[in-house]
Amino acid sequence: MSSQPILRVENLKAHFRGTYFGVSREVRAVDDISFDVERNEIFGLAGESSSGKTTLIKTIAGLIRPPLELVGGRAQFAFLPDAPTIHQAAPAAVAAIRWRHLSYIMQGSMNVLNPLRRIGATFRDFALPHLGGSAGAFEATVTAHLERLRLDPSVLSAYPHELSGGMRQRVTIALATICKPEFIIADEPTTALDVIVQKDVLGMIRSIQREMGSSVLFVTHDMGVHATLTDKLGVMYAGRLVEVGATRDVFAAPRHPYTRHLIHSLPRIGDVTQRSGLPGTPPNLANPPPGCRFHPRCPLAMDICRTVQPAMIDVGPGHRASCHAISEGGS
Amino acid sequence: MTALIEAKNISKTFSRGGVFARRRIEAVKGINFSLEEDKPEIFAVIGESGSGKSTLARMILGIHKPSGGQLIFQGQDVDKIPRAGRAAFMARVQPIFQNPFEAFNPLKKLDFYLTMTATRFGGATSRAEADAASDQALRQVGLSLDEIKGRFPHELSGGQLQRVAIARALVSKPRLILADEPVSMVDASLRMSIVNLFGDLRDRLGLSIIYITHDLATAYYISDRLIIMRHGEVVEQGPAREVLSNPQHPYSQQLRAAVLSPSATLETITPTH
Ligand SMILES: Nc1ncnc2c1ncn2[C@@H]1O[C@H](COP(=O)(O)OP(=O)(O)OP(=O)(O)O)[C@@H](O)[C@H]1O
Ligand SMILES: Nc1ncnc2c1ncn2[C@@H]1O[C@H](COP(=O)(O)OP(=O)(O)O)[C@@H](O)[C@H]1O
Ligand code: SF4
Ligand SMILES: [Mg+2]
Ligand SMILES: [Mg+2]
Repeated sequence: MSSQPILRVENLKAHFRGTYFGVSREVRAVDDISFDVERNEIFGLAGESSSGKTTLIKTIAGLIRPPLELVGGRAQFAFLPDAPTIHQAAPAAVAAIRWRHLSYIMQGSMNVLNPLRRIGATFRDFALPHLGGSAGAFEATVTAHLERLRLDPSVLSAYPHELSGGMRQRVTIALATICKPEFIIADEPTTALDVIVQKDVLGMIRSIQREMGSSVLFVTHDMGVHATLTDKLGVMYAGRLVEVGATRDVFAAPRHPYTRHLIHSLPRIGDVTQRSGLPGTPPNLANPPPGCRFHPRCPLAMDICRTVQPAMIDVGPGHRASCHAISEGGS
Repeated sequence: MTALIEAKNISKTFSRGGVFARRRIEAVKGINFSLEEDKPEIFAVIGESGSGKSTLARMILGIHKPSGGQLIFQGQDVDKIPRAGRAAFMARVQPIFQNPFEAFNPLKKLDFYLTMTATRFGGATSRAEADAASDQALRQVGLSLDEIKGRFPHELSGGQLQRVAIARALVSKPRLILADEPVSMVDASLRMSIVNLFGDLRDRLGLSIIYITHDLATAYYISDRLIIMRHGEVVEQGPAREVLSNPQHPYSQQLRAAVLSPSATLETITPTH
């Protein structure tokens, strides 16, 4: 493992700025986030719906369009050493790294496959220029790749609307992984799959990653998937990273109360106790609670939590968390 | 004892592919089930990706015409509902789709969908009535009209959008809700609050819900009966808890065994080569 991370995120801030009924509003969806992704690892991002996971990785991938604005910090890739973020890199440099170095499976991207092109044509449009070779060899590569995702090669002659949701989702995973890029960003890529196929798809993502020594930034709210797939885990709450560490350590000894909740609230087959979920609602990011953003829902909240934002502190090797209860020794 | 909805040996065949390589896809092959009018229940449909679950849902909604068999809703063949009866049928059978991102047009404000459902299917005759119906439905999912009014789909996260989609389905006071993977985009805690909401709608409003999902844990937790589909066929059916605790068919057993849990480890997934 090289000492330089392949992605370094430092104090990254990205906000949605807009005017609603003449009142300007700022949604602080990514608020001062720092973490590294090393070569040859799968970094998982967890957190409830609307905690800012998608916004964070859009910002990292350079997909910053109004009303989203980059407010500060950097998200620097080793293969783009001159740009603090992809957003600030020259378009030609960005085009040069697409597919081979970086590929991005957007949340819901299975719904933006070109409806007028057959799947086979979409593969030729995107992957052929990078893989090259004869038409026959290319088709054989694509077919073999689809089979790893449990897709019959006949999907190549189908239009997107002729495939089920889970089939389209696997097509987008196939497109993003076929060129075996150095860095793969995947936003909730297995939500539409049955558990058997999901297991195979996760296995495939992991074997490509291991074969190529690539890195994956894998976003999912599904803690079962994190436990199974990821090497490191970052937990987001209300636009902030609240805990990060080796997945094994975080599951074995979660230090932030929100992480503990995520791990322990998983519904299981055989369990019929009424689970109410976390009390309260996700905070409004246009007007987040002062101090620790989790305090209105936290079972351990103290006075200090209502006014002072807790800092990220080391709680173990490579394991950090931000909670006053830890520094008080109360955890 | 009358049926709210009854599927009699329904099937659907598609043909797909180019002019020279047309393939017949038997998406649904002869399925039977029935939900009783006076016994509201949550009926889960689980199974393999591509096994025909959404196709079944689209036939129930009258979007696809069955290639064979019949679907009877409150004594009426869904396929033979005259044009004039469509709106009344659609008020009684409301969908919630797989993906919140495709359920809403990005250029339309979210309250538009609620207002439209309230006026088209919910019998609202004024702006105030439509607003009241929308607000009531939104409150049933933990939102309110104030929070949604004037906002576009991209301003909400997937989870928030899905709650709006459920509220929209409730506006016309339906008898049957067809929910195609309504929780796959949302986190465990919101997932539980949504399926708890389904249970509440069943118990309080007497609604029946056909719940298509890949999430075996919530199917176990909330549904009364379930069917497991593979390759267009039902391989196993019965009371949800009985089937999932003690699956009989080899495919159901595999499905049950593949559920990931926090105690799973990296070694439990076999890389494909
Ligand atoms: N409009 C269509 N034209 C042709 N084939 C179709 C069409 N819609 C569905 N199919 C095919 O029918 C089969 C069943 O698809 P369906 O969408 O019902 O699956 P599903 O069980 O909902 O899967 P998933 O869990 O992935 O959503 C698939 O093989 C699909 O390719
Ligand atoms: N285009 C937008 N304009 C304003 N707010 C937005 C926009 N997109 C997302 N948001 C808000 O940003 C927050 C984070 O959303 P998102 O990144 O999608 O969360 P997640 O992926 O964790 O579910 C939410 O509060 C959401 O409502
Ligand atoms: S800082 Fe306080 S409110 Fe925040 S998680 Fe820790 S104990 Fe809870
Ligand atoms: Mg997201
Ligand atoms: Mg489907």
